[in-house]
Amino acid sequence: MRNELRISGVLLIFGLVVEALSLCWNTALSFMSFVVIGGLFFASGILLFLYSLVSSKD
Amino acid sequence: MISPETLVFSLIGASIVLILVVVIRPSITASREGKIIAFLALFIVPVMTAGVGASEHIERSEQTQFCLSCHIMEPYGKSLYVDDPAHIPAAHFQNHRIPADQACYTCHTDYAMFGTIQAKWEGLHHVYVYWFGTPMNPIRLYHPYNNRECLHCHAGARSFESATHMAMVDDLKSNKISCTTSGCHDTIHNVDKLGEAKFWKPLE
Repeated sequence: MRNELRISGVLLIFGLVVEALSLCWNTALSFMSFVVIGGLFFASGILLFLYSLVSSKD
Repeated sequence: MISPETLVFSLIGASIVLILVVVIRPSITASREGKIIAFLALFIVPVMTAGVGASEHIERSEQTQFCLSCHIMEPYGKSLYVDDPAHIPAAHFQNHRIPADQACYTCHTDYAMFGTIQAKWEGLHHVYVYWFGTPMNPIRLYHPYNNRECLHCHAGARSFESATHMAMVDDLKSNKISCTTSGCHDTIHNVDKLGEAKFWKPLE
């Protein structure tokens, strides 16, 4: 579970960095980067964390 | 007063710090308090931060700069600088009859219940088509321009109280006569004729 938490955390940090970078510009490209790339990191990080919770034997 | 931008960046920073605590010391999740921190760091706070970021992006999408960031919209942006008082978008933009930094949105949103949501949904559709589809060429509105958007500001204004307007006010309100195609205010973006147009240069 700890390894999954780490991976989940790293994915979420990437998502947050993408969000921060996308907010530095006000263009359709930055919006799409936030939605597509950021959204993918956020979704995978959160889903991995939730999966680690339900599959944990602790 | 904290700006929304500062708030989003602060939230992103705080989220990263909180996540780093769990990434560096995952052993904290052995305790009940640690599990709560992990749940906050890896679920609640990122969802909240992404939501605030999305809200900020949606808010920014109302800005003229955002609309004109797509290459296909460049001529429409240029048409705002045409030096002709009969040119409706240019006259509105240059004389600040609409907020210059929200010029596209102000005229192309729907002033109806859920109009903002619909306008933003259509905006998302534009972005989607621009990046993943084939945009219309030339660009056309999805629906004929609704007089309601003009009357939102002009109805009740002194400049609107002319005999011509008053004689047809009911037809204008019901869209039986269009403000833009009736031969009255029909010079809109005219991007095909920009080559022949003179342009206004704002003073620095």
